[in-house]
Amino acid sequence: MATLTSGRKTALRRELEAIVGPGGVLSDPDELLVYESDGLTLFRALADFVVFPTSAEHVAAVVRLAGREGLPFVARGAGTGLSGGCLPAEGGLVISMMRMNRILEIDYENQLAVVEPGLVNLHLSWAVVPKGYYYAPDPSSQQACTLGGNIANNSGGPHTLKYGVTTNHVLGLEVVMPDGEIVWLGGRTRATPGYDLAGVFVGSEGTFGIATKIVVRILKKPQAVKTVLAVFDQVDHASAAVSAIIARGLVPAAVEMMDQLTIQAVEDAFGCGYPRDAAAALLVELDGLRVGMDAQTERIVQACRDAGAREVRTARDEAERALLWKGRKSAFGAFGRVSPAYMVMDGVIPRTKLPYVLRRVNEIVAAHGLRVGNVFHAGDGNLHPNILYDPRVPGAEARVVEAGAEIMKVCAEVGGSISGEHGIGLEKADFMPFIFSAADLAVMQRLKNAFNPTGLCNPGKVFPTKKSCVEVGPVAYTPHAIEAKGLAQRF
Amino acid sequence: MQDALLERLRAVIGPANVLTGVELSPYVVDGRTPEAAVFPGALEEVAAVIALCGQAEVPVVPWGGGTAASVGMPAARAGVVLGLRRLARLVEHEPGDLTVTVESGVTIAELQAALGNRGQWLSLDPADAERATLGGVLAANAAGPRRHLYGTARDLLIGVTVVTADAAVVKGGGKVVKNVAGYDLPKLFIGSYGTLGVIVEATLKLRPVPEAERLVALRFARLKDAAAAVRALLASDLIPNAVELLDPTAAAALGAGEAGGALGLAAGAVLVVGFDGLPEQVEWQCAELARLAAPHGGRDATPLSSAAWPRLAAAVRDAFPVATAVMSFDVVPAQVAELMEQGAGVARARGFQTAWAAHAGVGVVSAALVSDREPREPGPVCGVLSEWREMARAGGGHATLERAPLAVKSQVPVWDDPGAAGRVMQRIKAQLDPKRILNPGRFVAGI
Ligand SMILES: Cc1cc2nc3c(=O)[nH]c(=O)nc-3n(C[C@H](O)[C@H](O)[C@H](O)COP(=O)(O)OP(=O)(O)OC[C@H]3O[C@@H](n4cnc5c(N)ncnc54)[C@H](O)[C@@H]3O)c2cc1C
Repeated sequence: MATLTSGRKTALRRELEAIVGPGGVLSDPDELLVYESDGLTLFRALADFVVFPTSAEHVAAVVRLAGREGLPFVARGAGTGLSGGCLPAEGGLVISMMRMNRILEIDYENQLAVVEPGLVNLHLSWAVVPKGYYYAPDPSSQQACTLGGNIANNSGGPHTLKYGVTTNHVLGLEVVMPDGEIVWLGGRTRATPGYDLAGVFVGSEGTFGIATKIVVRILKKPQAVKTVLAVFDQVDHASAAVSAIIARGLVPAAVEMMDQLTIQAVEDAFGCGYPRDAAAALLVELDGLRVGMDAQTERIVQACRDAGAREVRTARDEAERALLWKGRKSAFGAFGRVSPAYMVMDGVIPRTKLPYVLRRVNEIVAAHGLRVGNVFHAGDGNLHPNILYDPRVPGAEARVVEAGAEIMKVCAEVGGSISGEHGIGLEKADFMPFIFSAADLAVMQRLKNAFNPTGLCNPGKVFPTKKSCVEVGPVAYTPHAIEAKGLAQRF
Repeated sequence: MQDALLERLRAVIGPANVLTGVELSPYVVDGRTPEAAVFPGALEEVAAVIALCGQAEVPVVPWGGGTAASVGMPAARAGVVLGLRRLARLVEHEPGDLTVTVESGVTIAELQAALGNRGQWLSLDPADAERATLGGVLAANAAGPRRHLYGTARDLLIGVTVVTADAAVVKGGGKVVKNVAGYDLPKLFIGSYGTLGVIVEATLKLRPVPEAERLVALRFARLKDAAAAVRALLASDLIPNAVELLDPTAAAALGAGEAGGALGLAAGAVLVVGFDGLPEQVEWQCAELARLAAPHGGRDATPLSSAAWPRLAAAVRDAFPVATAVMSFDVVPAQVAELMEQGAGVARARGFQTAWAAHAGVGVVSAALVSDREPREPGPVCGVLSEWREMARAGGGHATLERAPLAVKSQVPVWDDPGAAGRVMQRIKAQLDPKRILNPGRFVAGI
């Protein structure tokens, strides 16, 4: 990437300001630093400009300018991504969507909302909750992450087991294409003529263009919720319980698992009432009609007992339910107390392979002389091993990265995937061949060519590539601002 | 047809699996007879067929059960029909994973039977389950009444194997229920009508078979009363798996198979709602439904037999012995009743009979039109269809002409204009099938 001369930079800054207004452009290196990485601080890269558009027309004009200049550009939401997706990998422009954060319309009769991409995920649910509705995909970062980022990464969350991930809730998108044209993909109806381009755009990690309006479904809040904690003396039994629940014809809203290291860390830090000597705990949530809820809960309890649970507890009231979830949700803060740093992995396996894969994860991490805490979406087989390490120990970080790659290989070997929700971004671009052949990648590349023929829109992501333009290290993990404030944890 | 190509096809997949001449009559679409119909028995054979046709620049028409073969613009050249029926193996079904991997030529009914033996099902219930193949259902994005709760192929398909126009075997997605690695290729092939690749294998999410399920029909004096009941239902705590709104003609077709007989004759509209779950949940919801519908004039709540499900999926089409045209619509749910009411009015004014039904909660409407006059002159039919399309478009929706005589199709486009997105679609087609081998000319935007 050729660097811009200072004269060129000044001229471009003026042009950008003419588009988005004088307060909408950053080019001072100190200010740009804030945008040099996302939630995965392993990778850093500096942009030449950060631009803050407030309309689709702004975005289109900025994108056309970038095209004219041959400058790469990348959309950025809240920067909570965990795979380096919004990094300006090759300099150029970061287009921040944070000032386009309005809710444009809420249509209760048709159960949809039209929003701008910079809207924070949770703010949508807040807006519709008074009428008994909510937006279902609930990434743990939902207090900060944006709908635009969710769309790009097809984000999930604990409750996506029953309700599906972002793509299942998106009807349409207004997109500024990489050539600056404004196009609607999908719309307000369940289908639109031709290919499902909205479906194809979701999960394209910012490489197909920039979403400027999003039409999402909103759902009625369920009548009743029940939460069960099952405690196990053996991890394998907890894993088996997950499949047993599913095999018994039950579809819980969420099935989350925590291992012993996690439980102990949580108990040391917060005392949520999980037994410290347990090998694993499952948190199972059911929702739906009030009628039949007790009967279904009883089946969950029974399935856990049959799988060997030593204790199964059902939350009696909202306070107890909140306490059980607090244990799950404060795992992050707890890791922070037992280790100076950690890196979260994201992989998916068939549910029935859980016992084997969890054993392998522990072996791999131990072989690298490290410790791991597992806390994850067990119901859909989405693993999040958190590898604990001390960044001051020379070579520790490299060992974490190696262990992570080996874990991804295991996921691939058992027929799983190298990402369940965090995306490929820069982090896993070189792991793509673990699960995709050259022919598979070639079709993806051609699809990308149809949207993004010049490649200027978010280059260097998703496809295997050399990471030459990006500085790696020295500190892989630093808490994201929302984590530091205790607003969210990363799994 | 070049004899050389035929010879090569026979050599690759065996002469018994290559049909020609009079054997081709089941594969005639829009009056055009294909040059041959070939039935490969393995993935590699599918690839070989596509490679051979590609070299000879003969179009390939992927063919499942043929139930949606007539949907689309008439092909300029009929080409070679590529039948997938021999690829119907159940590759992998692990109940604990709630997923299945299966070859695309399996019919929906065969697949459901295999899954049902193990207490699971694919929550996709398009019409013609006995004939429709999984590959065809995915390619046509077909769905039935239960889409209200369970969505469509896009909510169920997690992995797909296709043979592309350059005869490459390509996988998208995977075998796990949650997966964001790489672009979402399954979405690309759903509803692509065989224009981007031939689907040969699919991995899908499954659900446990519910313990209880029931369909209930309610009568209303007027369509708009039924629509008000739908609104009340959707805003309630109930979790129906189907919400179907039928006009009296469609309701009669549905009711004809029921023990009690004629369902809708005396009514202005019939609302059919499905519930599943534990027996007590179904029971409670049926009672609640009757209570919710009463203030809107809903009466005579009648449980239907389970055999009503497939009839429900085809109620509009089966309303007439032979419909002249069938059109389907995607609109916002709030627009459903108005479209049904006004659409029927427009047709009636021109002397046509119609039947209407809707998956009302998701805004998917279909209508059949029959002309009792001898329609030598397609003008009036085209006029009605065009007006229907305009009504849908005025509310932000769109229409697809699912079935019509060639004379009508040549005046009323099958597909609605996808707008600026059409150019992106053309670019995708050009990237994946530059020689335009796969189903050329059949889909939107000239694709
Ligand atoms: C504490 C923590 C917890 C997390 N928990 C979860 C979780 O439970 N589930 C989960 O799935 N993820 C989780 N994540 C990851 C992250 O929050 C999600 O990937 C989120 O969707 C990113 O949103 P963002 O607004 O921060 O996007 P960014 O990080 O700013 O960008 C992410 C990607 O989106 C693209 N993008 C942004 N806006 C647009 C737009 N308008 N149009 C096109 N592309 C755009 C960017 O180019 C980039 O490729 C977590 C992260 C953290 C830090």
